Amino acid sequence: MLIYAINRILQIIPVIFILSILVFGFVHALPGDVIDTMAGVEAAEDPEVRAALEEEFGLNKPIYVQYFIWIGKAMQGDFGKSLVTRRPVNTELIERIPATMYLALVGITLSVLIAVPLGTLAAVRRNSPTDYAAQVTSLIGISIPEFWFAILCILLFSLHLAWLPSSGYVEFFDDPQRSLWYLILPALAVGFRQAAFTTRLTRSSMLDEISKEYVDTARSLGLPESKVIYKYTLRNALIPTITISGLQLANLLGGTVVLESIFAWPGIGQAIFQSIQLRDFPVIQAGVLVLGVMVVVINLLVDLLYRVLNPRVGMG
Amino acid sequence: MTDSQLQSRQRVDTVSTDDTPLAIRIRHLRTVSKNALDELLKSRTATMGAIMIILLLSVCFLTPVLATHNPTKPNYRERLAPVSAEHYFGTDKFGRDIYSRVLYGGQRTVFIAVAAVAFGLILGIPLGVFSGFFGGRFDAVSMRFVDGFIAFPGLLLYLLIITLAREWRLEGVWNDLILIFALGLNTMPEIARLTRGTALVEAKREYVEAAHVVGEGSVFIALREILPNCVSPLIVNATVRLGYIILIIAALSFLGLGTPPPTPDWGGDLSTARDHMESHPMIAIFPGLAICYSVLAFNLFGDGLRDILDPRISER
Repeated sequence: MLIYAINRILQIIPVIFILSILVFGFVHALPGDVIDTMAGVEAAEDPEVRAALEEEFGLNKPIYVQYFIWIGKAMQGDFGKSLVTRRPVNTELIERIPATMYLALVGITLSVLIAVPLGTLAAVRRNSPTDYAAQVTSLIGISIPEFWFAILCILLFSLHLAWLPSSGYVEFFDDPQRSLWYLILPALAVGFRQAAFTTRLTRSSMLDEISKEYVDTARSLGLPESKVIYKYTLRNALIPTITISGLQLANLLGGTVVLESIFAWPGIGQAIFQSIQLRDFPVIQAGVLVLGVMVVVINLLVDLLYRVLNPRVGMG
Repeated sequence: MTDSQLQSRQRVDTVSTDDTPLAIRIRHLRTVSKNALDELLKSRTATMGAIMIILLLSVCFLTPVLATHNPTKPNYRERLAPVSAEHYFGTDKFGRDIYSRVLYGGQRTVFIAVAAVAFGLILGIPLGVFSGFFGGRFDAVSMRFVDGFIAFPGLLLYLLIITLAREWRLEGVWNDLILIFALGLNTMPEIARLTRGTALVEAKREYVEAAHVVGEGSVFIALREILPNCVSPLIVNATVRLGYIILIIAALSFLGLGTPPPTPDWGGDLSTARDHMESHPMIAIFPGLAICYSVLAFNLFGDGLRDILDPRISER
């Protein structure tokens, strides 16, 4: 196990390295002069101003030198300054990541809370009306565009019924009650789609488990059905569900951009999206790299957890 | 397996001596497609998905005939008109016919999605087959590269590429091509991984060894012997992927990164509809329903195909 873990950890280093090259390459292929954006066109025509700015941000060096300077500093946790706000990139990111994490975590939790009972019920009562209803709902859930679902929710709950705020964000530690109030709709939008995925997954892995021999053995020993299902089968069936939910969490970190923009949620996705439009390349590079590293690390943890939970999987 | 299932699986051709090679080939093709159709009709999900897809594609082909108005021509006298015999889905804030816009938008979306998946397959399949088959250093390097792409969180890769391309101020079709390029590029990693996984298993089979012994070249073996055996998971994945890409296209244009207005576009139209959805909720309904329908069609078909092609699940 330990050797496997070390091996996997070593494997992510080249992945992060390649990701950093991809990000850097894409960002520097962005046409449009950063200096123009920064100093305004008139000032940018002044060669002295231009030279000073190029010097300040290291833009006068060859591209590969710029890359190594950037990655070297990034490894020490220094991502430079935002070209737009002139504040350190770290501050910008640290302000934004918690909002996205908050939304993603609550959304995923919500989805698991809905999906696991629903998926289990559907599998236990296979081919019953409950099962069909669960299957149809979850199929629609994965086919509905998240942002459209969000719009429909706003239409219904904010505009029509006026129960919930249509957008906005309050930090949890400032005012937990209002914060949760603002969180309901976005979390519902995240959770609905995830719940649809997870329901399908739980149902099919439950069906897999129920058809295994140990279930027949347990039943023939006279164990009550509820014990067979909830104590033995469900526990095994949940392994893939937990794994996939973990991977979904990683995906959501950069995947909530659209919802963040609908609900005016000040998350990291929104921040990177705005930086892309403003050509604020230090923020784009750092944001994508940090999110990418988080994705890779979460994937690694999930993979290791999966193998701990399920020792039958080879360590190859 | 039931008798009828066995029969349909056993339907093979018999060759007589005076057959021309062409006749044999045609008959073989006919048998294969007849068998495939039989299998397809056995799964209710797949049949329903297939019908929905056929309907969708026919509407896309017949768009010029079915549309009642010019989708881009504003008519300020009929702004935000309700649903009527003249405007089946009403009109938007510029007085454009929503029904015609949904049709034309669908034509574009489906075309882009199909082209993007095709592009992703073209890039991903060879990469996957060769890494699975050759293994070694080529495999290690290309898979880390693929992992690097996968670590790009959520929509951010699309956002970057499309913003990048915006600077060239492309018009019309070129914009769609960029979209296809971005979507296809991000489809590649998953396809490559999937193909590699199957190719890895196939490469150890006896028939590959036999091919080596006979003296067939490695590239030939990879493409002609191994690839055909990797096809079925790829078909399923590509189908589901089509639905997913339609969702992404809609999300991107919702964020304002699709084709610029006035081109009809589902996501873009939903985004414009937001300004008036409080007073005219109906305009936010139809483009969303269209997206839902198309994604659902591909998801249903994909689900059905998976049941057919993976007998382990279907016979449970």
